[in-house]
Amino acid sequence: MTATAASGATTTVSNLSTRGLTKVFGGVRAVDGADVTFHEGKINALIGPNGSGKTTFFNCVTGMIKPDSGTVTFKDRDITGKAPHAIAHAGIGRSFQLCRIFPRMSVLDNVLVAVRRTGIRSLLAPARTEAEVTKARQLLVRVGIDHLENAEARDLSYGQQKLLELAGVLMGDPDTIMLDEPAGGVNPSLIGRIGSLVQELNAEGTTFLIVEHNMDLVMSLSHHVIVFDRGRPIAEGTPDIVQSDPRVLEAYLGV
Amino acid sequence: MPNASSTLAAPERAATAATPTDRSRRRKIATVVALIVAAVVVGIFPAAAPNAYILSAGVVILSYACTATSWNFMGGFTGYISLGHAAWFGLGAYGTGILVRDLGLPSFVAWALAGVVVAIITVPIGIAALRVRGASFVIVSIAFVLILLLVFQGWGSFTGGSNGLVVPRPFPDLMRPVHHQVFFYLFAALLAAMLVLWWAINRSRFGIGLKAIREDEDKAEALGIPTRNYKLVAYIISATFTGLAGGMYALWFGDLDPIFQFSILLGSYMVLMALLGGIRHLLGPLVGAIIVGIGLEVFKLQFGDTQFHLVATGLLLALVVLFMPDGIIPALQAGIKRFGPQSSSIREMTAGELAERNRAAGVSGASVFAGRKAEREGVENEDATTPTEEEKR
Ligand SMILES: Nc1ncnc2c1ncn2[C@@H]1O[C@H](COP(=O)(O)OP(=O)(O)OP(=O)(O)O)[C@@H](O)[C@H]1O
Ligand SMILES: [Mg+2]
Repeated sequence: MTATAASGATTTVSNLSTRGLTKVFGGVRAVDGADVTFHEGKINALIGPNGSGKTTFFNCVTGMIKPDSGTVTFKDRDITGKAPHAIAHAGIGRSFQLCRIFPRMSVLDNVLVAVRRTGIRSLLAPARTEAEVTKARQLLVRVGIDHLENAEARDLSYGQQKLLELAGVLMGDPDTIMLDEPAGGVNPSLIGRIGSLVQELNAEGTTFLIVEHNMDLVMSLSHHVIVFDRGRPIAEGTPDIVQSDPRVLEAYLGV
Repeated sequence: MPNASSTLAAPERAATAATPTDRSRRRKIATVVALIVAAVVVGIFPAAAPNAYILSAGVVILSYACTATSWNFMGGFTGYISLGHAAWFGLGAYGTGILVRDLGLPSFVAWALAGVVVAIITVPIGIAALRVRGASFVIVSIAFVLILLLVFQGWGSFTGGSNGLVVPRPFPDLMRPVHHQVFFYLFAALLAAMLVLWWAINRSRFGIGLKAIREDEDKAEALGIPTRNYKLVAYIISATFTGLAGGMYALWFGDLDPIFQFSILLGSYMVLMALLGGIRHLLGPLVGAIIVGIGLEVFKLQFGDTQFHLVATGLLLALVVLFMPDGIIPALQAGIKRFGPQSSSIREMTAGELAERNRAAGVSGASVFAGRKAEREGVENEDATTPTEEEKR
């Protein structure tokens, strides 16, 4: 179904949406009644000034933070307030703004953590089965750090850690991936690599929601852009439309 | 990344893959050798012990090793530091004693049943205590053992209170030294069972999940690990084995007093021994228990029943945390590696160093389109730029 959504330029299919999502920290309304609909099978970008609530919104959707009110719907199921692992199992994978990996585990083990197994028997079976290790290695090859598989993750450069985090997310076979500033803090050549990886995966049917400040990347990658300001979307549309929207310029530049 | 040590590697294997594989094989061999040595020592110790005192000291050290290893199921795998694990030791000990006294159960049936009782009690306590992390968890664990201490002291009609509880001996007709000998082997068997389980968990899917929790709990959860259940299961295993060690102690020693069974000191010893040996290593707690156990006995012999050993314990704990945070075993491994072939580091630059360097260079984040772009172009030759803001959770 994702394939049809991607091909039909005018039809909008959504598997993930929020209604009235709100999260207040003390007096700060970090997310303030956000109604957001993401386009399935597309690369959706979420942009907005610092502190506009993008990360908090991400955390509410992925269950890391319990929203004060509002709902999150994924594949017609209400997933509001569900535990993050349950949301991950439902098919949403995510990265963190400041890349988070398991620093003192090997690169390979970092990816193997994301293997899904249930049942006591399979949980007590050895972690490194042939099939899973093979899959993890393929993902490391895909992101380009397979030569480091035995290194401790903390010994990787920041850019390599970002790639490792992505490989871990992919290990869970998510159909929707949320990336919080995938290009933040990595060098330009790596930004290109991450961008083409996102495009490849999207072509295979994965929906993306990307928070990003690098406008070149946002405009070249995304099909649909949502602009956040003070905890809620103020504009959305194709990259071109959004770029020329006066409300967006005002939110960003304060003119 | 070819490096010096690859010259040692088997020629048919690629240089990059060979070094770590060989290292892990060498480590495996070292562990097996250590286990065989330990088994031989345990096997001949009772016969070789010159007198009953040395033999009983051996039993004490093995009981320490049991508690430290059981503590490590929680502390080592998940990184949750419980200072109150004596609570489970005391519950296992009193549970065994009371079941023998009141129900007249055979000693080892009572012992096993006490283990079950401890496991059941762990469930609600674990659910409550594991809602908090870090320092809060430490405090909750201490509070729990203090509450139990007061309950067991106050409820004298049931527990014997401060007068203590005498636990009938399981083998009344055995002479003292033989009694010690039997319990030496019983503790060794209990320890062996724990080591096997630790080894199995360590290499399992469950174990990898627990270690991920130790490294970054939120990240583990985001990757799909049901962290709450994982932690609870580790806690139950850890507490139950601590309780079984306590029950065994009760049957061996035969006399229980709340002030000793529910003491924070006992819980602190478990932490010290595990940290000292190395919580990431199968044999870490055992090594720590041998060192601390021998140290305590020597102190008692040298200085009598003073509080001096407390000072020494505190000092040792501080030294370990400051200078050997990973414990003795990894420190030794690193020392041995220094004599071996040098391998060049694969490290280019870690995120921490990067952030440090960029901070020093005064790279700051701008948020508007143009600002971001300019900043990025300005640092084009850098490996990366600093993320502009701390992640807020
Ligand atoms: N855990 C928290 N406690 C208190 N306030 C918070 C917390 N997390 C976020 N905030 C506040 O909520 C607001 C939104 O923050 P958020 O991190 O979601 O913004 P953002 O759009 O991701 O910004 P950036 O682009 O800088 O990453 C900010 O004012 C922030 O200070
Ligand atoms: Mg953010």
